[in-house]
Parts: sequence; C-alpha cells; structure tokens
Amino acid sequence: MSTNLNTSLNAPVNAGSNATRVGVIDLNSGNLLSMQTAIKAAGCELSTVQKPSPALLKDIDVLVMPGQGRFAYVMAQIEASGWREFLLEWCRNGKRLVGVCVGMQVLFEGSDEDPEAVGLGLFPGRCQKLAHPKTPMVGWAQLDSYKLSLKDQFAYFVNSFAVTECPFATAKVTYGQTFCASVQRGNLYGFQFHPEKSGAFGKELIQYVCQ
Amino acid sequence: MYVNDKNSNSDLTARIIPCLDVAYGRVVKGTNFKQLIDMGDPVELAKMYEQQGADELVFLDIKASVDGQQSALDMVYQVATHLSIPFAVGGGIKTLDDVHKFFHAGADKVTLNTMAVEKPELINQISKQYGSQSIVVAVDVNLEADGELAIYTHGGSKRVPIAYQQWIDEVVDRGTGEILLTAMHKDGTGSGFDTDLLAQFGADFPVQVIASGGAKGPQDFLDAIHAGADAVLAAGLFHRGEYTVGQIKAFLINNNIKIRNT
Repeated sequence: MSTNLNTSLNAPVNAGSNATRVGVIDLNSGNLLSMQTAIKAAGCELSTVQKPSPALLKDIDVLVMPGQGRFAYVMAQIEASGWREFLLEWCRNGKRLVGVCVGMQVLFEGSDEDPEAVGLGLFPGRCQKLAHPKTPMVGWAQLDSYKLSLKDQFAYFVNSFAVTECPFATAKVTYGQTFCASVQRGNLYGFQFHPEKSGAFGKELIQYVCQ
Repeated sequence: MYVNDKNSNSDLTARIIPCLDVAYGRVVKGTNFKQLIDMGDPVELAKMYEQQGADELVFLDIKASVDGQQSALDMVYQVATHLSIPFAVGGGIKTLDDVHKFFHAGADKVTLNTMAVEKPELINQISKQYGSQSIVVAVDVNLEADGELAIYTHGGSKRVPIAYQQWIDEVVDRGTGEILLTAMHKDGTGSGFDTDLLAQFGADFPVQVIASGGAKGPQDFLDAIHAGADAVLAAGLFHRGEYTVGQIKAFLINNNIKIRNT
C-alpha cells in the first residue's frame, strides 16, 4: 500500500483475496450509498462498521469516515460508539484513515460551528464559517494543489465550515476565503469535498486511497 | 461571481443541469399526461449526461402522485448506484417521511413545488433535519397579461394567491438551499431565460438560484449567468439533441465563465 498520492491513479484494481478490505464507518450521519458504491466499484472488499472492535485492526486495511450534518452531532456519534480511542489507536498503528466532509473536520481540534465539541485532534487547527454570502457552499470548484493527482481537478463541495489554515494541506479552494480542500499526514487523509460525488476524478481518488 | 477574475473570492463554478421528466420509472417526453412518449431508461440517460459533463441532474416524477412512489424510489436507487455526480428528485413529495425515503434511496436533494406552497413548514423541517443544501424549492412564476408576477403550483396548472416577492423571501427565510426559478412565460418559447427576473439575485443573494425556462442556445445560458443565475437548467434542448452539455460548457468557457471542464 503506497502512501504517496503522486503515484499513478491508474494502478490495477485489486481483486479476489488480495482486495483491500475497506470499512466505512456508519455514524448515522447521512447516506452512505454513494460511498459504498464507489468503494465496491474500486474493487475493494467493503464492510460497513457501526462500532469499533479490536478485530478491525487485523480485518480492515482502510477506514473511511464520511460525515454530514453538524460538527457536534458527528462528534457525539463518535464518542457514543467509542470511536475516539479506537481511531487514535488506529492512527498510532499507522493504519489508513480517510475522513470525508464533516468526517474530515472532526480530525481537527474543533469547529466554530459547535465550539464546545472537542475534535479528534489528529490535525492541528479549527474549522471556521466560510465568509461568503451564499452558504453552504454547494457545487464544483477547481483544486489548487501541488499534487499531480489533485492539481486542477474539479471537486464537488457541500459545506458551510472549513479549515482555513493547516500545514498538512494538499489542496486549497477559495470561497469567501481560501480553505483546505484536502489534507494528508502519512496515512491519515481528509477530503472536505465529496469524492463519491466528484465524477470520474472522485472515482479515481477513492480507488487510489483505498489501495 | 462566475466570470473569471484573479481577484474573485470564489472558485465555485456555474452549474449546467439537465432535467429529466420521469413517469413509471421511465424518462418521458412532455407533460401531456394522456400521451407520454417513452424516451428511455433513466440510468442510461443519466450516465450519458454525466459523460457529457453535466454538473448535476434533476429528475421530476410527473406521475408520482398517481402511481405511488415505489417506481420512483427504485429509479432513485438505480441512479444513485450508477451515477457519480449529485442529483435532485421532485414530484409527489408530501411528507417528511417521503423525503426520508428519497434520501435513503440515494437522492442528494429533493425538489418541492406544490407542497412548498401548501405546507411551507415542510421546508423548515427538511432544512432542519437534513440541512439546507438538501432542499430545492421550485418556484413557478408567470408574467400575467396585466404585468403581475403570479405563482403557480400543480405543474403550472394552478395559480395561487401569493405575491412573487413575498414567496421568494419566505422560502429563503424558511431555509431552502436553492431556488429553481422557472419563468413559465418563457418555458418552451426558445426566447431565452428571463434575465430581468434573474437580475434581482446574483453574488449577494443568500441562496443559489437555478434559472429555468426558455433556453434555445448557448448564448441564453451565458446571458442567464451574467444576469445573476448560479446554475442553469434545461430539458428540451438537451433531449432533442440540439446541443450536448459539453457544447454549452465549451461556449461558456470561451466566454470567460467559471465552468467545470471534464
């Protein structure tokens, strides 16, 4: 499993017993159908996981954490099911975690949306409200990135809050102000946009991070 | 807001949205309920428009209230598992439970027209439970002979006693994420979108506005975006094969509009 996003997105799809085992975390926060479909289409072995268990560390290669709705709601779901400790342990083991939309935001320390809610703190920084008259931001924007796999690609966004500053940003987009469209720190990935709704580019990105 | 400009504070692109009328789980032509022409399979047509570069799709089930929802829900599930761009679904949505079923089947947004007028609190409920990004209120407006702007429901067949501006303000206040603004007096005329109506929106308006009704060619899309539309919806011009989505987008890109290039 490569950790370099610059590797070709066109690597062969894993199949059969060699397929990457991808777990989608179900936080009861929005529909998972598109994400599940995209992961299966990438040739991965898909599971949907409601609660953490030690077995996941050997049975799952990649965890994907989608999230929709308020920051505090998603954090409350994480706390209630015991995901916080498990995800910290998962990352200490160097295993791959992919947060999408609010699932990316909770990887940070907190959000101005719900200041009392404490994020996972895997990335430094906080989410702020986008300073644009039309929020949420809904639609497609072109990524400003140094990574060949992201550079100039169009991604689909649905968000009112975003992280404006992070040393681990891999792509940026401007809406009211410039914010982090994606972040990466080793095997820990965050996408503020929705790869599962971002057309052919999104499919390739999911295929890449799930291998 | 969508014209290329180095000093712009937004990277958002203007969206091009083909609209498909469906009945009994098939794409149909026209709204003449007695003589529906079968245009094909929703999934196949949706994939074709995705490949052409459509940014989003809207499915309007024109018979939903007649045949119940199961065929619509089956179609939504099939589309959701074959499409990798967002799509909205409208037609026959009456309760929050209906809305839940459509989201559960995989729709990204629901579109309300008649029920938004008859039960406006549904807008608040959907916005609160699923977020404002999940709801589009379709406002059908007609310029009457006396110059008044009138609101219509039931697929444009019933005039309701609500003032146009008051209704626009109300749906925004109740929490809609977008307004799908159909100028009925332009629909099917090929005389272009109503740019006078669109001029009241633009970058400072708090929600996105999708222009609909009247498109004949690429220049109409450009005029609508210049006037203040955030997105442009069209049906006939795409279904009749007069233009592909890609051709419209190429024209807009050549005219310095921020457009998702595929």
